Amino acid sequence: MGSREHKIVCFMCNWTFCQSETHVPSNVNVVRVMCLGRIDPVIVLETFEKGADAVMMVGCKPPDCHFIEGNVQAERAVKMLKKLVALAGLEPERIKLLLVSPLEDKSFNHYTKQFSSEIAKFGSSPFKIGKLKPEFIVNVLAAKNAASDFRLRVLLGREKELTESVNVYGEKMPKEEFDVLLDEIVKEEFIRHKFHLLTKTKPLSVKDLAKTVEMKPADVLRQIVDMRRRNMIALDHVEGTTPFYKALEVK
Amino acid sequence: MANINHTNVKKFPPCRTACPAHVNVQGYVSLLQRGKFKEAVELIRKDMPFPAICGRVCFSPCEDACARTNVDQAVAIRALKRLVADIEREQGRVTPKSIPKKHSEKVAIIGAGPAGLTAAYELAKLGYPVTVFERMSENGGMMRYCIPDFRLEKFVVANEIAYIKDLGVEIKTGVEFGKDITLESLRNEGYKAIFIAIGAQQGMKLNVLGEDLEGSINAVDFLRAVALGEHINVGEKVAVVGGGNSAIDAARTAKRLGAKQVMILYRRSREEMPALPHEIAEAERDGIEFYFLVAPKQIIGENGKVKAIECLHMRLGEPDASGRRRPIPISFSEHQYKVDTVIPALGQIAEMSCLPEEFLDKEARMPSMQVDPVTLETKMPGVFAGGDIATGPASIIEAVGAGKRAAVSINLYLIGRDLREGREGNIEETTWVKNWGHIRKKERRYDSPLEKPRLSFEEAKEYLKNIEQKAMFEAFRCLGCGPCAECLGNLELCEADKAVVDEGLCTGCNVCAVVCPFGAIKKNEKEVAQVNEDLCKGCGICAARCPEQAITMKKLPNEQMMSLALATAKE
Repeated sequence: MGSREHKIVCFMCNWTFCQSETHVPSNVNVVRVMCLGRIDPVIVLETFEKGADAVMMVGCKPPDCHFIEGNVQAERAVKMLKKLVALAGLEPERIKLLLVSPLEDKSFNHYTKQFSSEIAKFGSSPFKIGKLKPEFIVNVLAAKNAASDFRLRVLLGREKELTESVNVYGEKMPKEEFDVLLDEIVKEEFIRHKFHLLTKTKPLSVKDLAKTVEMKPADVLRQIVDMRRRNMIALDHVEGTTPFYKALEVK
Repeated sequence: MANINHTNVKKFPPCRTACPAHVNVQGYVSLLQRGKFKEAVELIRKDMPFPAICGRVCFSPCEDACARTNVDQAVAIRALKRLVADIEREQGRVTPKSIPKKHSEKVAIIGAGPAGLTAAYELAKLGYPVTVFERMSENGGMMRYCIPDFRLEKFVVANEIAYIKDLGVEIKTGVEFGKDITLESLRNEGYKAIFIAIGAQQGMKLNVLGEDLEGSINAVDFLRAVALGEHINVGEKVAVVGGGNSAIDAARTAKRLGAKQVMILYRRSREEMPALPHEIAEAERDGIEFYFLVAPKQIIGENGKVKAIECLHMRLGEPDASGRRRPIPISFSEHQYKVDTVIPALGQIAEMSCLPEEFLDKEARMPSMQVDPVTLETKMPGVFAGGDIATGPASIIEAVGAGKRAAVSINLYLIGRDLREGREGNIEETTWVKNWGHIRKKERRYDSPLEKPRLSFEEAKEYLKNIEQKAMFEAFRCLGCGPCAECLGNLELCEADKAVVDEGLCTGCNVCAVVCPFGAIKKNEKEVAQVNEDLCKGCGICAARCPEQAITMKKLPNEQMMSLALATAKE
């Protein structure tokens, strides 16, 4: 099989497959966790950064979660992850969430084979080929930093609260509205962390940044203002009338 | 001193709370999920010595309490227990490590039934020299003599008792209390503590005319005679009077001895029957006929032998002290059934004649011994009593619970501590499942493959083949609704994996408390997240969501998970 070289990291819920059902092919590395909800989006992005070709997340199909809703939490994380991975320039299909019922007869080997053939067309991870474009590294790092930052994590953690129960004003957020919001925030966070990484090495102006990321200077400025408020970035110096910004150390 | 400890409040899942012996159900079911059958038996043995026996005949209060009943149906706990015990026996029983005799005080236990043997087992584990005295020629008490073979085979009982003997418990058979030994003589022989667990062995009488005719035999005597291998001719038609488990056992045994027609006469209706529902169902499958709302008035004989039984119809009145509706005879409703044998099965009472007068509880409904319900002390210091003798006829698991309590008391008594100190009476039912309102109850997806009807004296053995996988699926149905199952670290991952909060990093944003499915995280007065380790089940969702990454897992922190993930991903 052509996908033999593809290295798949599989995060697996402890309860989904019995030991006897898990025959693990050599290209798959299984990490058993107590619950799929345990998987931090940062970990998945880091796995990619360290050279995995694809990540498979195996958990129990609702409603059979040993921890009531760990699988739903994993679903939410994957939804966000796919967005981040796409922004970073990787194929979102490289992440697969597989929810199977723990009660059915099933074969782990079958699922891994299927996934291997699905990702065969993407080729090896750009991180493994070497000779990476610096742009690409910045993108993946930005995605990782965004995933480990406060805002996205709070949003993810509070999704249930926001969409399923009413807030103090008696309002309830429809699921679709939340998805739009998530999309927006993921994009914002990603771009902010990208700016943060770019200005780390040398101070840059709004115009420079707009050119690098192909955005309107006005949009860039809006993010910069927010970033200054969050102490991510600070004014470094002014050349003529153009202010130059430099990243601040976050935490 | 594994399970006799002196802590305060214990938090148990519903199954373990409901069990009179507090067997760690959630723990061994979790082990079964991993296919760890041997470890599961060991875990059961930490709490009680009879996994195979209870796996067969326990009335399983754990299943009644199971939280899974809110979703579909209870986990087949009893069948799972039986399975692990059977697998262990088939593969060769583990011989326990001999326990050093830490104490020199000798303990005497009277009666080798479930209560006595459990007490002996627990005390032997604590390192006491224990001697059990048994009147009959074989050990096991009611478990051996009054439960028929098709429910509980003799070799199963013998196997479980052999384990207790392996622990160093001495059992002397053929020694009758009150005749061969007395409390005096035991004291003189140097026994420092005595536990009386002689049970309730005597069948209650019908108190009707003709009870002494040939062909009328009490259920307990009947079952005991069959167990001893005596030949009993029950004739063609048999009437069993009563609605308890021994009535069902007697009826099914009579059917197997060749009776054509076996009927159970019960004075109340089916709902009030104290017998276990699945036993009733199996009796029906055996072709036993049930007659409800009838009570015998007299037994009619011919030439000194039973010829027929005359009964009265009953109707149900107001509930009585036991909560069941009182049967009231309907006048002039006499009718007769032609029978060859009448087996009264109205329950058992203790034989009190061997006991000193001052122990007797004269105010009880049935004669029983007066003991402290918690410590099982009698009026005489150093003498304890428990099991059926104190409670009236009950179940094996209740006797096991009494045996355990007696062992705790005797240990405390012999080391000279207060008997009420740190009793395990403080048990709190704890589950994370607080509200089932949002869960729509489903049909069970498949039938439990574990229970197999047993229709002959021979127990089907094939069921053990290829059952492991099915058992693991069945075990998976356990919601693990309690706090940590304390399976004692036999699961690789689960072993004490708990969330840990770095208080320096925590900002008190409360996200962890929102995502925790078990409500194990709360903010404390310092506005910092605090993990309640009793409730934390180690799923790690909080660690994955904490915005400040202030929460990690004890056993599988992020860095370790990364290194596992990269073990082969990097080349």
